[in-house]
Amino acid sequence: MNPVARFLRKRWFIHLLLCIPVFYVFVPVLQKDTEYFADPAKYLLEYFGLASTYLFVAVSMITPLRKVFPKIAIFKSIAIHRRQIGVGVFFYALLHFLIYFPYTGSWSEFVKDWDKLFILSGIVGFALLLLLAATSNNWSVRKLGGRNWKRIHRLAYLIMLLLIYHQATQEKTGYRETATVFAPLIILQTVRIAIYGKHALKNRAKSDSADSSS
Amino acid sequence: MHIRKNKPWNLPESAATSEADFINRRRFLKAVGLGSGALLGQTLSHAATYGFPSKVNPEFRPDGLEPTEYDLIKGYNNFYEFSYDKGEVQDLANRGWQTEPWEIEIKGHVENPQTIDVNDLIKKIGGIEQRVYRFRCVEAWSMVIPWDGFQMSKLIDLVQPTSKAKYLKFSTFFDPTNAPGQKGGSIDWPYVEGLTIEEARNELSFLATGIYGKAIPNQNGAPIRLVVPWKYGFKSIKSIVKIEFTSSRPMNTWQALQPREYGFYANVNPTVDHPRWSQATERIIGSGFFSKRKDTLMFNGYEEQVAHLYEGLNLKRNF
Repeated sequence: MNPVARFLRKRWFIHLLLCIPVFYVFVPVLQKDTEYFADPAKYLLEYFGLASTYLFVAVSMITPLRKVFPKIAIFKSIAIHRRQIGVGVFFYALLHFLIYFPYTGSWSEFVKDWDKLFILSGIVGFALLLLLAATSNNWSVRKLGGRNWKRIHRLAYLIMLLLIYHQATQEKTGYRETATVFAPLIILQTVRIAIYGKHALKNRAKSDSADSSS
Repeated sequence: MHIRKNKPWNLPESAATSEADFINRRRFLKAVGLGSGALLGQTLSHAATYGFPSKVNPEFRPDGLEPTEYDLIKGYNNFYEFSYDKGEVQDLANRGWQTEPWEIEIKGHVENPQTIDVNDLIKKIGGIEQRVYRFRCVEAWSMVIPWDGFQMSKLIDLVQPTSKAKYLKFSTFFDPTNAPGQKGGSIDWPYVEGLTIEEARNELSFLATGIYGKAIPNQNGAPIRLVVPWKYGFKSIKSIVKIEFTSSRPMNTWQALQPREYGFYANVNPTVDHPRWSQATERIIGSGFFSKRKDTLMFNGYEEQVAHLYEGLNLKRNF
């Protein structure tokens, strides 16, 4: 195995990478970026939402990448950390959700918009992420049994749809940003299904349970 | 949202000349006959300089209305002609885009159609004054801005509309070379806005050529822009090149783009929600992370001056 692939197996390194958005957020503060100081709550809300989305796309791409490029060792190393990255998605979604509170200013304002589909899609998506994060441990796999656990974590696909909707609706015009963020994932899944056809689904079930233990 | 990577030419703010020094340096250079802008390697255009310093109009300076910091007004801009990123517009709008000299074409159902240079127009009108207005964006944030300019009705009196004139249609500039956002995107350029002639005649309707007693920066809509403070900010069209007096209602750009979300009137109204968020409150720009929101006022606090224009109109349907 090449040294990069070997290095990427280290848990602490992945944890470090996952913390980058928290450090990088200080850049606009130090640069005295007007966009931050004009409306810091909005800036952070969008920043952490985007961070969560990028990580979601990243973690969703791991298995398709393994399927389409089985020989590349680096993907195999990263696959070991799928669970951590998944929890990372939840972590930044949590920050996004918590910042939504000072963004709206008060509890009554906070709940006022829950009748809007845009907000509701975010809330349901977050609730599902919470469920997945809470069951992202070996204890859950044992308690629930592999099959039920798998079923719960297939909700990731529903989360993806809610996320695409949530992301697309918040854009002012068009869907450029959403398309850019999700394009790699969609292209990859298309390639994967094209190569493996319906066998892709069967193969995933078998090797996924092997990957998810960490 | 765009996570900005700093370009090599983007100096840190600490390196910038203090505003006072900069203005004085410009005046000195102008006095000795040298052009402005060469200093920083950028072309800074500040047109419509006639009429400064402006007289303050005490009628439009409500007590207790604290203006937003100039840096935030200058640096937080919705100007999709340049970028969708509010922080980027300040750079992009000052990379060579010329707003001086600038002509406005006034046509349509008027007795005196004319194409006139902005500074000549201000001279004809009789100078500019300063007013402090609330500014409420449809995105639910707000500022307080000390505008310099003149009342719109003075321009209307100058051109003398005929009885056929029921609406005003404003158009902004079209220059994709300098305004890269106009090269594509979902918007059908140039940006268009409209008012009924009664709205345009209202005492609040204002054509602004300056902010804080200085010529209006490019990113804020140099050299001349509309300000209708009782409406959402997108109605206050920037960098006007044409004003047409029409008999039929113009289709404003945002309504054409998203009719479910943006209408023609766009009056600030806390009881009529935007499809994606409530309009009952607003975030005050520059007030910090934990600031409470402010309750949005009907007609942005200008109910006394404009409510009569909409008597009998269903404001939920005509948003």
